[in-house]
Amino acid sequence: MASRKRERKRRLGKGIGNIYAVLVYAFIYAPIAVMVVFSFNDQKTNYYWKGFTLRWYEKLFTDSSIVEYLWNSLFIAIAATVISVIVGTIGAVGLIRFEFRIKKLINNSLYIPIVIPEVVLGLSLLMLFEIIHLPLGFTAIILSHATFCIPFVIIIMRGRLAGMDLSVEEASMDLGANRLVTFFRVTLPMLIPGIVSGAFMSFTLSIDDVIISNFVSGPYSTTLPVKILSLVKTGLSPEVNALTTIMIAVVLTGLLINSVVQVLMRKRALTHTKSYF
Amino acid sequence: MKTRKRYLLFLLIAVLAFSFTACGGGSGEAAADNGELNIYMWSEYMSESVVQGFEEEYGIKVNFSYMNSSEEATAKLTSGGGDQYDLVMPCDADMTGLINSGKLAEINLDNIPNFKNLGDAYKYREFDPENKYAIPYLMNYIYVVYNPDTCPIEITKYEDLLSPELEGQIASITGIRNLFPIALVSLGYDANSTNEKEIEEAYQWLQKYVKNTKTLVSDDTEQAIISGACSVALLFDGQAGRAFAEAPNLKVADLSDAIQLGVDEFVIPAGAKNQKNAEKFLNWLLDAEVMAENLIENPYTCPNVAAIELTDDSYKKNPAIDIPQHMKENYFLQLDIGDAATVYDKYWTMLLSE
Amino acid sequence: MASALHVEGGFKMKHTKMSSEISTLERTRNRKRNLIPALTMAGPVTIWMMVFVLLPLIYVVFISFMQRNTFGGIDYHFTTANYTEILQPVYLKVIWKSIKLAFLTTAICILIGYPLAYYIARKPSKLAAKLLMLIMIPFWTNTLVRLYSINLIGQPNGFLSSFLMKIGMISKPLDILYSDGIVVVGLLISMLPFAILPLYASIEKLDKAYLEASSDLGARPAVTFLRITVPLTLPGIVASVILVFIPSLGMYYVPEALGGGKVMLIGSLIRNQFLITKNWPFGASLSILLVLITLLMLWLYTRIAKLDEMEVV
Repeated sequence: MASRKRERKRRLGKGIGNIYAVLVYAFIYAPIAVMVVFSFNDQKTNYYWKGFTLRWYEKLFTDSSIVEYLWNSLFIAIAATVISVIVGTIGAVGLIRFEFRIKKLINNSLYIPIVIPEVVLGLSLLMLFEIIHLPLGFTAIILSHATFCIPFVIIIMRGRLAGMDLSVEEASMDLGANRLVTFFRVTLPMLIPGIVSGAFMSFTLSIDDVIISNFVSGPYSTTLPVKILSLVKTGLSPEVNALTTIMIAVVLTGLLINSVVQVLMRKRALTHTKSYF
Repeated sequence: MKTRKRYLLFLLIAVLAFSFTACGGGSGEAAADNGELNIYMWSEYMSESVVQGFEEEYGIKVNFSYMNSSEEATAKLTSGGGDQYDLVMPCDADMTGLINSGKLAEINLDNIPNFKNLGDAYKYREFDPENKYAIPYLMNYIYVVYNPDTCPIEITKYEDLLSPELEGQIASITGIRNLFPIALVSLGYDANSTNEKEIEEAYQWLQKYVKNTKTLVSDDTEQAIISGACSVALLFDGQAGRAFAEAPNLKVADLSDAIQLGVDEFVIPAGAKNQKNAEKFLNWLLDAEVMAENLIENPYTCPNVAAIELTDDSYKKNPAIDIPQHMKENYFLQLDIGDAATVYDKYWTMLLSE
Repeated sequence: MASALHVEGGFKMKHTKMSSEISTLERTRNRKRNLIPALTMAGPVTIWMMVFVLLPLIYVVFISFMQRNTFGGIDYHFTTANYTEILQPVYLKVIWKSIKLAFLTTAICILIGYPLAYYIARKPSKLAAKLLMLIMIPFWTNTLVRLYSINLIGQPNGFLSSFLMKIGMISKPLDILYSDGIVVVGLLISMLPFAILPLYASIEKLDKAYLEASSDLGARPAVTFLRITVPLTLPGIVASVILVFIPSLGMYYVPEALGGGKVMLIGSLIRNQFLITKNWPFGASLSILLVLITLLMLWLYTRIAKLDEMEVV
């Protein structure tokens, strides 16, 4: 009797949970849905819905000026991610394993790029580049992006490292491997999930960064968000919507393919096991 | 073995990434040598055909970077990065400070014979009496537009914007130097006043004004009056032009008060690498036919009188440009206010934190 | 993606335990042996932080004690006026408003995010990873475009408005644009992932055994939740608070784009100083204030984390 009641409650709980999750995701994706819809709007600037057209997509593939900004952003995001992951990963390990005098200072300074208003960070980086005579452009933007990505990577890695058992590393060293080998063959593989999270986070932060990129970009290196920011002055054209729609479509398709592949592989594994019997 | 391979792969990618960036930065410098021109200006503010025409005529490649506010252009010039460009577009209000900062190169007018096409009011101006530093490009008025079907009152002066009937009805641009001058002019003071008492009175004027506004944003201001959320808008003539295209029944209010005229100037940063190319480009832009063609896609107010003569009615009669003649002549410019800037800033902050 | 963010305090304890067990001689020997690995691993990040973060920050502090000259440049004379200026009521009001808004955003993000994080944490980790990724993916579309899409949704002559009127929910066209509500919606959409990730990490670590024990001992689910789950996931909650509150403090373009531009927040105040009024010293002092508020919150966090350690581990 009581267990049936509990069963019903549990199912109700699960039902509510599912509905809640759907609502929250719908909430998050609603602006995206609108964005996609308005990419088909037959109006030079998106003021209201006027009619259906595909011409913005056509424009993207034939006569577009904004696509090159997408390549700029992608290139910068990838480069910044690679740098952040490398520096961040070895940095996280180094900061946890070793003690040195200015460690506390460095630890605290990690939070500053996350926290400082982007205007201030952008301006201070601009002044820095001016002083060291670094020309503004791809290099400057990549360095700036890495500066605020590295702290995120380190925080994520620290979470991963905290859960790790030191004894595995010790065992490796007891068995005769030196620190370098231990790092690459023992520590690093265990850190892979953290590295993936960190890379994902870095890429996301870099590709959507507006304010800092605005300050440190040069003549050839305008990023997509910066270009869009300038377009807002004259009203956003559906062409921008079309571009971002395609971006999201690509990513979601990638996710979908990934899931399908995984399901297929699992099925294959199952059928193979079955064949043993 | 597997992890070592992975490590090497990482290293390879990193090295490639670095070498590309070095290339990107490097080629920026090497190529900046006689074949190129780098311009920093507003987006959607110059016809493709004008740029292509220049590139074909002179064989010089033009690269654009875009700004989102005049202040950014000024910041680039004064705090760093200005010399990466050959032409930058600050607004006239900042010119005094820029000239004094020494960050501008002198323009050689001998290389710009088309300079004569500019109207007299736009040459040898007060802040640049020898015209060594700035060439005006296009200009914009700030005025009031209203929906005759929904606007409850008649608007003939700024003071009318304070009427209680307009509560929540105004879509307004924002900005300290856009709004304070309107209040100052309405009160009978100088638009570029540095007198704290007058600024304070303007602040009180603006308090009432803000009550009547629905939005105080300069991006997309026309959106609110197009969608019908507002019946009145204070905006730039460029935005008005876009509003007229979507809602042709809108009208420009006939104001007896002076309206603001802002000028977008081209300057050459000190240390620019392609100064000769920049001057060639300026000369190209000042050509009457070239500018007339530019005005087709960018129907803004223009200081190039020779070009205006070559335009047809689609420009001359454009409702955003074709405002009453007395308004066109009754304008004020933004001048540098020096130390009073902090006073303005304080009252502006007070205005927005009530 | 599984345990994306974790308490740092948790590890600190293990580490201190170890170092106290080593003798002084061993420690010096360790330090010598560790020098080169330490340099190669922690070296790059140390140099990076010093050059790209600390140096510019020191410059900002330096400027905050200088004066503004007539043309908006810097006059190199010492003054503390930029800090005393902050104490004026108008600026305190701005700071207070920003703190209130950030606080509201954080509270709502956690209220909405916690149940979702809980829901995701109960899924198998591969599915959970995908669900988390789905939350992050909207960020790959441009924030500005998303914000203006929110505006398009709320238009009085738009689809949502006419739909709601047709089904009779509202009688006049929708008037939600430029209101406080829509600003909060915008902030939610921008900050929700930052709340969910640390919450998920913390909830996922929760040992189900505790929950089972609690219900076996007769506690109703609500009681279990309040007295077991929440306290055990407190580090995640605190991390989430920090990751949402602090960026919200400085974030001004969301309220500007959606809120009608009538309220000044500290982010736009700082931007005005640097870009419009060109009063860099004052902007610098405001920025340092923000940094100090942040450091204060971080310090509070480490205190709470330490407290938590003593109870649980």
